[in-house]
Amino acid sequence: MSSSSEKHAAEAIENAELKAQNARLQAAAKADRIAIDDLKEAQRHIEILNLDLEGRNRALEALNKELESFSYAVSHDLRSPLRSIHGFSEALTQSAASKLSRDEAAWLQKISDAAARMDRLTEDLLRLSRITRSELKREPVDLAPIARDVVHELRQTDPERNAVFAISDSLTAEADPVLMRVALANLLGNAWKYTGRRSEALISFTKERRPDQTVFCVRDNGAGFDMAYASKLFAPFQRLHSAREYPGSGVGLACVARVIHKHGGRIWADAKTGEGAAFFFTIPGEICVQ
Amino acid sequence: MTTKPILLVEDTPDDAELTIMSLKQSGLVNEVVLAEDGVEALDYLFGRGKYEGRNAKDTPALVLLDIKMPRLDGIEVLQQLRADKRTSVLPVVVLTTSSEDVDLARAYESGANAYVRKPVSLAQFQEAVRQLGLFWILTNEPPKAPR
Repeated sequence: MSSSSEKHAAEAIENAELKAQNARLQAAAKADRIAIDDLKEAQRHIEILNLDLEGRNRALEALNKELESFSYAVSHDLRSPLRSIHGFSEALTQSAASKLSRDEAAWLQKISDAAARMDRLTEDLLRLSRITRSELKREPVDLAPIARDVVHELRQTDPERNAVFAISDSLTAEADPVLMRVALANLLGNAWKYTGRRSEALISFTKERRPDQTVFCVRDNGAGFDMAYASKLFAPFQRLHSAREYPGSGVGLACVARVIHKHGGRIWADAKTGEGAAFFFTIPGEICVQ
Repeated sequence: MTTKPILLVEDTPDDAELTIMSLKQSGLVNEVVLAEDGVEALDYLFGRGKYEGRNAKDTPALVLLDIKMPRLDGIEVLQQLRADKRTSVLPVVVLTTSSEDVDLARAYESGANAYVRKPVSLAQFQEAVRQLGLFWILTNEPPKAPR
């Protein structure tokens, strides 16, 4: 073979290689273009999502502001007419007592009782909204002394009652102490209330370590409830007992649930009518103490 | 015991009536002057508007001040009172329906001497007003009149 034909053959191979390389480059460029288009598309999508998020944030802020001014109006404006209703019906009772028949006096009493009840309801509603509006301030906290403090206050309301409280020694959690006090006051207050007809009330507050989480538990041997209605337990103004049997507005457990949910935890109950109730809750991120 | 009047600043007529009734029942003989909003309260205290010519140095024994009122609210009244030499040390008790922490904080920050939430129950309301009247009119030693 002559040197020129060798040269031609080499050029042909080189050409073929160049062509192949070109084709590869073109394919790569096409792939890049597609990738760039995809990226642009994704970016546009993110921008849209961001705009959406900003919009939602603004809507939430507006909603929060509205909730705040609503609660403020409830606190001021709904109460004022209640005081008129209660105040003047009592004033009438005081000044016209001798002229009123027994029925008439009882009707007046019903008017002022209803106004007082509605005042308690608005106060409870405000309590609930205050929890929702409050800022969560987590810190390492031992719930045991808080619980003992609550128990001390409960005992003072009825020192004669035969009640045994068992509160574990160290119940540490990463939680907001102020909000947890609200939750424990409600849970232990309920236990105290619903054991009111027991000759000996047994109330405990403990912590169980389960494989995946730590579970706190407030348990009592009180009136309990039918688990068929358990889904209504934590909704505001829902009651499982008549006001005559056990007074209350049905806001306590709703407050507890809001506190626990604010901490990112879960709350649930187990009970049996006439055999007591147990309330369980978790607080994620709790500290383990050896 | 001081015989100077009590200034009641209250925009709700029913609340004003219940407060005046409770003050009377507590045995206090001090005249109660009613101002129906913040502007009227300042007019009375500074002797202007409707009270043009009243001597602003004749301060009331006590101001019972509602917070939420039209035109000028209680907090603004309080701030203006404290800013004026003639009323800077005047005893002011905030008497309000609100149990909101923000009102409580703002009232004290603005120089309130006390904060009392009006109870819904008349008996409790009467007792609160009675204690307020007795303490601020009889027990408390008021600041000396400004020169």
